[in-house]
Amino acid sequence: MTNEALSGTVQSHTVIRVPGKQHAGAGPFVLLLIELDDGRRMLGRFDRMEPPAISSRVVGSVNENETPLFSIAEVK
Amino acid sequence: MSTGVHIAGVGSTKFGFHPDRSLQSLAVEAARAALADSNLPANRIGWLFVGNFVGGIMAGQEFLGPIVAADLGLENVVAMKVEAACASSSAGVRIGYDLIGAQAADAVLVVGVERMTGATREALTSAMTAAIDQASEGHAGLTFPGFWGMIMARHMHLYGTTREQVAAVAVKNRTFGTRNPIAQFQKPISVAEVIASPPIADPIRRLDCCPATDGAAAVVLSSEALTRQYGSPSVRVAASVMMNGPVRIGDYREITVHDGTVNAARQAYARAGVGPHDIDVAELHDCFSIAEIVDSEDLGFFKKGEGGPNVTAAVRNGRLVVNPSGGLLSKGHPTGATGCGQIYEIAMQLRGRHPNQVPDARLGLTHNGGGTAAAVTVHILEATQ
Repeated sequence: MTNEALSGTVQSHTVIRVPGKQHAGAGPFVLLLIELDDGRRMLGRFDRMEPPAISSRVVGSVNENETPLFSIAEVK
Repeated sequence: MSTGVHIAGVGSTKFGFHPDRSLQSLAVEAARAALADSNLPANRIGWLFVGNFVGGIMAGQEFLGPIVAADLGLENVVAMKVEAACASSSAGVRIGYDLIGAQAADAVLVVGVERMTGATREALTSAMTAAIDQASEGHAGLTFPGFWGMIMARHMHLYGTTREQVAAVAVKNRTFGTRNPIAQFQKPISVAEVIASPPIADPIRRLDCCPATDGAAAVVLSSEALTRQYGSPSVRVAASVMMNGPVRIGDYREITVHDGTVNAARQAYARAGVGPHDIDVAELHDCFSIAEIVDSEDLGFFKKGEGGPNVTAAVRNGRLVVNPSGGLLSKGHPTGATGCGQIYEIAMQLRGRHPNQVPDARLGLTHNGGGTAAAVTVHILEATQ
């Protein structure tokens, strides 16, 4: 996936407060489980510290070898 | 006496803090206790499996099969390590069961051992996270508290499970732990204390988490003929099942339903010829307090979504008692040893010798989950006397 735009629904969330060594210094951060509109499920970071409600609509993007970053989708 | 594969003897160290002990010495203590309990001479053991998960990462020690065999004085045995994350030693029991059932062995010794205390939280988190697929979800920052935090948040959302119901699991198991002399934690806690403890991976808090634990437990499996010959105080293995499940949280169809547990339980009940409501006592993999609720539902003790208000009642229909050892939350979770530790607890229940004895317990179940519930064992044990 390169510069892929993503949209989907929040299935669940957590706040990682004690990360492993690979992410040392990065916590706390919000991790989301997203069901994308094409049916895939994936983990992604959220751009705020307060998790969104489950079933919220989110949009994001991902570059190769990066964890996707999501934000709340604007209501049109 | 019934036929088949038997648990001829069990042994365990105290679970908790053993900062001055090696993996080898803990394993040998538990193994010698199990051999003595079984009445079998050591030279009847043909196979040795050592269940261990993080010995290589935390202590730089691998190759535990031959090392423990040598320290036990076992000669001419097949000896090897078995690794299935937190289900490592119960995976060894699973293999041993088939060896004896296929008459490829008369007696198999399975030892589980782990040393975890003394490490920093970050080091321990990293070691445990080795059971998460590092190419995908580990890379995204998922940890095991995070995995179960997501499950807890969704369970609360879908089924209305409350923060208090989840905390009550930890309270119940700490209460059981006060009466188990080999449990790591032996002081009771309150729901208010659980909810006020520091957040680890929201909504999971510190007192929702099992501790880091040092310890070892061992099981001697034997044929019925050998059990009779030596007068072992045995219990029968009515079913031994291991199933895989999704290794990535993104692969779950629904994260509050763990297919590895559902499928392993279904097959175990079929093989034993019983159902979930025949079980008198169970030791479930409560690595986090929400896990006992999810597991109890997936094992068929309660309908999906009804574990929260029911599992903490401890006794269902006046019979089933869940985690009277204190579970992983109170007895402790020395990952590689936990599976054998659960079998130790149920064997003691079925022999009528447990400090939290369930009256007239005849049928017991152990449930041990490795990784993202991706390596699940279910054992059903039956009293023989």
